[in-house]
Amino acid sequence: MSELLNTLMQDARVWQGHRHNKIATPSEPTGYQVLDNQLGGIGWPRGALSECLVDQPGIGEIHLLLPLMQRLTGTGKTVFWLNPPHTPYAPALAREGINLDQVVMIQAEDEGDFLWTLENCLRSPVTGLVLAWPGKLATRDIRRLQLASEAGSNVCVLFRERRHTDQNSPAALRLELTPGDRQDLKVNVVKRRGSWPGQRCSLAMAHRADLAFRDTPQVVQGPWHQSRR
Amino acid sequence: MLWLYLHFPHLLLDHIRRDRQEQRPLVIVEGTGQRVLQSCPEARNRGVQTGMRLKTAITLVPELGIVRAQPEQDERILEDQARWLYRYAAHITLTPPDGLLAEIGSLQKLYGGLPAVWQTVEQALDEHRLTAWAATGHTPLAARLIARAGKGECTGDRGHILRTLEAMPLMAAEFDAKTCTRLQRLGLNTLGEVFALPAPELARRLSPETLARIQRIQGSRPDPQSPWQPPHSFRQQADFVQEIEHSQGLLFPLQRMLSELEDDLCWRQQDTDSLHLILQHRHEEGTRLRIRTSGPEHRADAFLNLIRLRLEQQPLRAPVVALVLSVKRFVGREAPTGQDLLGESQDLNEAWHTLISRLQARLGDHALKRLSPREDHRPERAWSASEVQSKHKTRLTNPEYLPRRPVWLLQGPQPLTEPPIAWFSGPERISGGWWDGERVHRDYYIAQLRSGQLAWVFRDVREGWFIHGWFG
Repeated sequence: MSELLNTLMQDARVWQGHRHNKIATPSEPTGYQVLDNQLGGIGWPRGALSECLVDQPGIGEIHLLLPLMQRLTGTGKTVFWLNPPHTPYAPALAREGINLDQVVMIQAEDEGDFLWTLENCLRSPVTGLVLAWPGKLATRDIRRLQLASEAGSNVCVLFRERRHTDQNSPAALRLELTPGDRQDLKVNVVKRRGSWPGQRCSLAMAHRADLAFRDTPQVVQGPWHQSRR
Repeated sequence: MLWLYLHFPHLLLDHIRRDRQEQRPLVIVEGTGQRVLQSCPEARNRGVQTGMRLKTAITLVPELGIVRAQPEQDERILEDQARWLYRYAAHITLTPPDGLLAEIGSLQKLYGGLPAVWQTVEQALDEHRLTAWAATGHTPLAARLIARAGKGECTGDRGHILRTLEAMPLMAAEFDAKTCTRLQRLGLNTLGEVFALPAPELARRLSPETLARIQRIQGSRPDPQSPWQPPHSFRQQADFVQEIEHSQGLLFPLQRMLSELEDDLCWRQQDTDSLHLILQHRHEEGTRLRIRTSGPEHRADAFLNLIRLRLEQQPLRAPVVALVLSVKRFVGREAPTGQDLLGESQDLNEAWHTLISRLQARLGDHALKRLSPREDHRPERAWSASEVQSKHKTRLTNPEYLPRRPVWLLQGPQPLTEPPIAWFSGPERISGGWWDGERVHRDYYIAQLRSGQLAWVFRDVREGWFIHGWFG
């Protein structure tokens, strides 16, 4: 086989249905053993885009990234939050052991600025992780971002709505996140580079509010009912 | 002592020409706009001469660029030249409007001989694209007279200098008109003939001042020169013949100014973190731009990139007639060490500053925020956002003693519209703020909504229920 074809095969850019190639893309473990196993031992890909498809905040989507954030800020890499929907709450992040000196929050006014900023962050060697909340993205823009992320070697996570799940995307990893019954986070692997998608798992996220795990959530007779009465 | 005199025959012309991309005929006219004072080679080739009436010049060259001379401008431009000459010579005196005097006798050893000093200065003149007539002399006045006559030579020989002076006509010696006429009536035509007269006779027949001047030229009377001190700031101005309407056109002169700034900073062994740029308009007040870098910087292309970004964001209000670049704040340069205490290499530090400066230049200083916790019980006041400056280190005493809080805080509390399906913890009463008028009295709970979201909800004094955060 020609050399070109060989390289393509080894890079796992050409998808081969009949065998699972172990690919050697650089990556960062997610910090959740269950999820790492589902992703074939690799976690967040470095130098490629990842997408988290989430509908509402508050289901544990940030906690999914906290282990990575802790590790990166500890080693002096910068974490950028680009256009977050709400304020990242500093006391909570500090409590989780994140070095806030390495966290920079950016608000970009329009779409052009957003893409420009994201691209610059991705290309810089100081960036460890970029969390970005794009409003809407054209496929062309995602492609551009994918190229920018290949230029650097950092993790970039785009948070998008779940209605984009069916759309085609060049991102290397796409996770659909939905809330579970026991305050856990259900992860559905929509796409992963070099292997079959479709793995599902559930991550315990009750620790994000210091909730002891309970089979049936014990309903406290809150003042809610009293006030309704 | 040996002096070097630089005479700039058309300084203003050189100053304007070096910021022009295209070389078109250009003349400087006197304040009233009647006569041509200085003309560039292109104009001279087509017949424009110094002293010619402007109307004649325009008839000869219709597309002639015309600049009106302003006396205060001359002085400023001369000082610009003194600033770069100061790098080579310590003792400099300005002789406005168009001359610089430098003491070079003491520099011979440093540069390795007089020819080397001469060559260094010539090279610097060349780099700055200046035309200058240089001459050495054993006295300041001797150097000046020879330079202005255009007979400058690189020589330290006193006898040779005196012979050159003696051969010079009386008119070139810059006596006042009355003295000049009297000397001519005495039948004296060259400076040598004046030198030959006995001193007491000169003082008696003419005036003691004339004798003093002659003795200063010869060197038998001291002629002290007070040295010039360079200012502790950097300032450069570019004046344009034609107004510049697009910011793209500013980049060419800026490039030259910034590389001079880089030279200046390298020479000072300092860095800077803020540049002031004033774009002057003809009828309006100038636009002031402040370019900030997030860390100390001295490289011209780094500054140019930031300015380019800023100009892209901010279109020109009006055509620009002049551009002023000034730097007042200097920061000591840090010695490049392999690694600093935290194990960050210099490269990464620099990359960090470059990235942050770029982002700030395009998005504005307020778009980038760094978060930090604050000591307050009220959730909306328990954090603060500060502008990203240099890498500072905040010290948190014990993060584990911070209370459990949600990762997302809403901009303001949102009314709770549906009853939660599960309650987990609470109430946690937060009450405070009586001291600054923003009183808070709330009971906080953690609750799960029907959509599966974990919310931080509270009930306040007025019995209202609100969501204040999400446990993301």
